[in-house]
Amino acid sequence: MMKKKGMPPCASGRIPFLFALLFILALSCGDASGQPAASADVLVRKARGLGLAQDPYWLTLLHYKPGIAGRRSLVDDPRFFLSPSGNRDPSAEMDATLHAFLQPAGDDEAAHPVCRFVARFAWLKERLALDETKLPVPECRRFNNILRDIRPSSVSLIFPAAHINSPASMFGHTLLTVDTAHGSRLLAWAINYTAVTTETFGPLFAVKGLFGLYPGYFSMMPYYTKLQEYNDIEQRDIWEYRLNFTRDEITRLLMHAYEMDHIRSDYYFFDENCSYVLFFLLDAGRPGLRLTDECRPWVIPLDTVRLVQQNGLVVDTAWRPSRASRVRSLASLLPQQERLAARSVALGESRAQRLTGPDVAQEHRTVTADLAAEYLQYRYAKKEVPSDAFNERFLQILGERSRMGGAGKGDYEIPAPPRPDQGHLSNRLSFGGGVRENDSFIEMGIRPAYHGLMDDDSGYVEGSQIIFTGIGLRYSFETERLMLQNVDLIDIVSISPRGDFFQPVSWKVRTGLARKPGEDGMDHLVYDLTAGAGLAWDIPLLGLFYVMGEVEGDLGGRSEERWALGSGGSAGVLRSIDGTWKIHAFARDVYYALGDRHNALELSFQAGFACRANGSLTAGVTWKRSYGVRDTEGTLSWNLFF
Amino acid sequence: MKKAVVLVVLIAAMAFAGTAMAATLNQKNTGCGLGSMLFAEQNGLASQTFAVTTNGTFGNGTFGITSGTSNCEKPASFSSNQKLQEFVADNMDNLARDIARGNGEYLNTLAVLAGVPEGSRSEFYSRLQANFSSIYTSEKVTHVEVLKNIEPLVTYL
Repeated sequence: MMKKKGMPPCASGRIPFLFALLFILALSCGDASGQPAASADVLVRKARGLGLAQDPYWLTLLHYKPGIAGRRSLVDDPRFFLSPSGNRDPSAEMDATLHAFLQPAGDDEAAHPVCRFVARFAWLKERLALDETKLPVPECRRFNNILRDIRPSSVSLIFPAAHINSPASMFGHTLLTVDTAHGSRLLAWAINYTAVTTETFGPLFAVKGLFGLYPGYFSMMPYYTKLQEYNDIEQRDIWEYRLNFTRDEITRLLMHAYEMDHIRSDYYFFDENCSYVLFFLLDAGRPGLRLTDECRPWVIPLDTVRLVQQNGLVVDTAWRPSRASRVRSLASLLPQQERLAARSVALGESRAQRLTGPDVAQEHRTVTADLAAEYLQYRYAKKEVPSDAFNERFLQILGERSRMGGAGKGDYEIPAPPRPDQGHLSNRLSFGGGVRENDSFIEMGIRPAYHGLMDDDSGYVEGSQIIFTGIGLRYSFETERLMLQNVDLIDIVSISPRGDFFQPVSWKVRTGLARKPGEDGMDHLVYDLTAGAGLAWDIPLLGLFYVMGEVEGDLGGRSEERWALGSGGSAGVLRSIDGTWKIHAFARDVYYALGDRHNALELSFQAGFACRANGSLTAGVTWKRSYGVRDTEGTLSWNLFF
Repeated sequence: MKKAVVLVVLIAAMAFAGTAMAATLNQKNTGCGLGSMLFAEQNGLASQTFAVTTNGTFGNGTFGITSGTSNCEKPASFSSNQKLQEFVADNMDNLARDIARGNGEYLNTLAVLAGVPEGSRSEFYSRLQANFSSIYTSEKVTHVEVLKNIEPLVTYL
């Protein structure tokens, strides 16, 4: 390149022989191998003239984002860049890419840059009007074969909803599926971005995940394997949002997924996570789309579903019930006697013949047998049935079922619950006030995530709460001081009813700072850590009734020891009325036997009213007795979800 | 004191987030017969990770890149239909249930992959249902045998 630039213009006819010879040599060399380099320079100049290195699409393909120390790519794998400074410098990467495209073809076509970076190639080919017939590698045959095999027809964003008994999974996951023209959704391809690890120790996993110490990779597998994972094993319902991507856009999306194959981007749980990095594929599919720029710094997968919707990408939605939801739905079609027969056969307490016996009415036989089979599959997925017992019992039930006939009728139509994206938004701002003994106060609070027990359940799991980093401030008119009232680092509750088919354990865990009455009768900020476990039942007319045993540790305050450890319990009733009202009444009593010995009793009644999609009113009355000091507090607050 | 509190809080927060985010690790497929689900060793609360064994996006560009069938015997029936073989091997339980019931998405997919024309499908489903016990001959049945037993039922449609 440099040599070419320094070459004198050929104007004079009196060139010395040696120079002439050199010139001819240089030309002939150029013909043999230097020609592509010459074109590369032309291409580089042309690309610079068009400003392609700063084109938003180029920035998307290379995952460049502004950072604290200037622009850099979120991709951390050196193999993804052709220039040594490519992870920071879009122009250098552009120049290096154009040169690399003109490299002579080697033995392995798939290793050629045209084939390694198919999306970059396709875009630059179009923008620079490249004549591919003059290129050493005109196309990537390997990718074209894959594309032909996939026969893409549409693309969907997939959101596995929360486990019923683990609210934390509300944070969830998203993936994409590429539907094929084969005519079955099961045969779609699922594209995931996930952290790769063999770490099984939770806390270490979390710490490393927060600081991006795990490599993240894209993976692709048949959709049915993801359905097994989420629907059948983890018991999570799946929501599918089909996007209005055209065939060309899906091709571009797949091209980018292909060039991201085996490419590492460090995985960060809260921002550069599954849902965020997946958006690079959508942005690459549709030039002009900037989903990766519209995300908040704290990426909640469900919010990314909403973002896709706000961008007008969703054509239609579908719901895939988990195995547990199917069991629940089939059970609801049957009277008690048949339900118990199905359960007993599935558990191996009765023989499969009972399905056709006298205690199963003729018209309920097929549903009873189907329920028995699905419930057995559920128990097996929970590892509550050994595999040889499962195989034997499963075939016996299915044998009975096959003799009942009724083929070709179509699957059960299980009504879909409200969509999670239609539930209230993730962030909550509250304003309120109240009275407490002789004092009155106003307060405000903010909670970036996610759902409280008193918030409208629509789109969420009933009886669940998951709060991360909520903060509350209170201004007291008596003391004329503004004080930090609480910091809810984590406050999770799962009240999950027990029944014939499911016997979950309800539980809760909370940690944070809370203002609590001390020995001196004044309130002090203490750090608390609480855990509890118990049982819950759905009682007709009354609501969700629960009892829990709890342990609590407190640190800080103004008392003698400045710490207290105790145990106790709570019991309460939670009930939704008409889908807009919600009430929660509970009692909680904890005896602190270690540290600052004392007893804390609390009786509370809370009511919530969802006034519009993203607003609610909550009111509550709480009576407390701690260190023998009693006080009563009433509050009213208005909540806005955004 | 305050620092200690902050530290404890941070560690607790992370430990919790850890269990919240801890995910399906070390998935393994236990075989090619009934009951061979893709079990997760650790049933996490949220799935953000996946097993090291299932990395690689496009693999060799064929269908069942991550299926557990690579160690399984290759059937002579439908021998050229690799997608069908892998589908049956990977979905033994759900397919058996759908065949016994005579409907469902897994049964429909089987018909698609076996090339059963739409007009003949309801007859195909009835025939499979009626022959359930000769398709699933024992609890040790493998996908190879299942395919071998299904093949004659497709041929005469």
